[in-house]
Amino acid sequence: MIQAPIIKLEDVWKVYQLGKVELAAIRGISLEVAPGAFFTIMGPSGSGKSTLLNMIGALDSPTKGKIFLKGKDISKLTENQLSQLRGKTIGFVFQEFNILPNLTALENVMLPMIFQGKSESERKKRAKELLISVGLEDRIFHLPAELSAGERQRVAIARAFANDPELVIADEPTGNLDSVTGKKIMEILTDFHQKAGKTIVVVTHDPNIANYSEEIVNIKDGQIVVNHKPNFHLWKQR
Amino acid sequence: MKKRTKFSSPTSKRSFMGEMKEYFQIAVRNLRTRSLRSWLTILGIVIGVFLIISLLSLSEGIKATITQQLKALGGEMIFVMSGDLSNPMSLFIGGAKLEKVNIDAIKKTRGVDKVLTMSYSSSVMRYKEESKTVLLCGQPWEEGLELLQRFQGWSLAEGRWPVPGRREIAVGQQVANEIFKEKIRINTESVIKGKRFEIVGILNSLGSKTEDSFIYLDTPLYQELTGEKRGTAQMAMVKIEEGASLERVAGDLRINLQETRKRRAGTDIADFSVITSNTMGDIAGNILAVIQFAIVAFASIAILVGGIGITNTMFTSVRERTREIGIMKAIGAKNSAIITIFLMEAGIIGLIGGAGGTILGAGMAKLIESYGQVHPVFYFSASITPGLIIFSLVFSFLVGCLAGFFPAHRAAKLKPVEALRRYE
Repeated sequence: MIQAPIIKLEDVWKVYQLGKVELAAIRGISLEVAPGAFFTIMGPSGSGKSTLLNMIGALDSPTKGKIFLKGKDISKLTENQLSQLRGKTIGFVFQEFNILPNLTALENVMLPMIFQGKSESERKKRAKELLISVGLEDRIFHLPAELSAGERQRVAIARAFANDPELVIADEPTGNLDSVTGKKIMEILTDFHQKAGKTIVVVTHDPNIANYSEEIVNIKDGQIVVNHKPNFHLWKQR
Repeated sequence: MKKRTKFSSPTSKRSFMGEMKEYFQIAVRNLRTRSLRSWLTILGIVIGVFLIISLLSLSEGIKATITQQLKALGGEMIFVMSGDLSNPMSLFIGGAKLEKVNIDAIKKTRGVDKVLTMSYSSSVMRYKEESKTVLLCGQPWEEGLELLQRFQGWSLAEGRWPVPGRREIAVGQQVANEIFKEKIRINTESVIKGKRFEIVGILNSLGSKTEDSFIYLDTPLYQELTGEKRGTAQMAMVKIEEGASLERVAGDLRINLQETRKRRAGTDIADFSVITSNTMGDIAGNILAVIQFAIVAFASIAILVGGIGITNTMFTSVRERTREIGIMKAIGAKNSAIITIFLMEAGIIGLIGGAGGTILGAGMAKLIESYGQVHPVFYFSASITPGLIIFSLVFSFLVGCLAGFFPAHRAAKLKPVEALRRYE
């Protein structure tokens, strides 16, 4: 069955103006991500993969071209409209975790729900469920400083799913973790992917993550060099 | 689509106030995280508000005292003093004298019913081994007493009026009860400038602490004590005839007094002040208005500096929290949410500073007031009205918000990608 893509990029360019020099980080990329897919973007550093991810995640707007999220063109939205869109439909996991240091694990997970106007009891209940589901039931009231790197990333994952987004984007989610912890984090992400049916877009240069993916694009110098579906069948069987 | 189970959640919309409450909690937490810096910034506002509250409440108090005293003077009186009142200091110094010829001129003026001369100075009085500074007031008892009783509301709390020709004095309430450790009783002796006097009467309160701090004695006794020349006085109270116009009599008095002065010195400098209770109120009001304006101006500068302190703290905070702002925006915070949080932080700093300044300022004013009550010459009362408190709280809150506006705006303008990239 062919479904309408949740994300569609049409000839997307991102050009930075560095003084008098123009630097094109993304050069005419077009791609589609099917709903419920586990989509990986790979490439060496400086290839533009994070820039691409930021645009897919509505954190940034393209210089040229169009980005459709669920069929809606988001490339010309205002800052506030993008914020609203992100809050409702997109969850973020970053390489450096980016959880707020002065909030407890629970409060960090509750935070995105504040901006969506959910009641406190509702937020607390949901945040606790999520923290339990990532195995942090003993760390609910801990501050980030009291957590290990892997635990922090798990808090970040729980936060990414707080508003029940349809799309979660992860920028090098295992980049700051050792391989064992990284594996655990990937298991949690794929678990969410499978159980909750979320679309997940991951940027990485870790080839192991490819094992989790249904579709991989390789980027170099702002352009797609390879687009393949490595373990697609394996995936379906898992 | 795959089935959604555990991870879906219903959305419910809270009220605007509910949202504000959440942002308020975030703002408070942010301030607590940087508590030393927050308190220092708050201190900047505390000082400004402290100045406003303490000084304004005292000047308000002085105004109230003066108004009260003027009311006690009654409306149908004219006061004549030597010296020019357009120089306000002459009011307080009162060095110049009304000569006998001047007083005679007053008495002869059309429309004048009675003239009561008055002189005052301070002196040390000893009562039962304790010496204190008191105010002496010399008035002619025989002619004056009736006037004072009828128009100024004098009455005795205890004892009798001094008899002219005897060494007898009457004291005000404040002298009787507050100034000396031992309360003054009638028919006891006191010593002023080495001379013995019998205290025969204690007056009821005259309505103001200053008037109650006087010792009243007959003019001959006063002049004997102070060496004041016979027939002269520091000021004269004029009671006008019934039906006469207050302003016309005052005008005639001015002309007559000027005539006497011209004859004597050959100059035409007007150095008499003929004032009705109305003009007295105007003069006092004008002086106080200038003082209050100066107070507000200087205290506003202090608050402005405090406000700049808030702006500075908030800008530092925005720089420091750039990444945090980026994260908040990434996970769905709108610009308005970021602005609200930063404005709240600045507003809270302003408000706490305002509350602290109000408490300290009120405390200071009360302290000065309590000092003023034991000291007879300087009488201050502090008037801390709810209006003044509300004004300073609202004002400091607004200063905080205003000071936080630009930093908040800058925070909200940060692009999430750039904010997240910074300090990586």
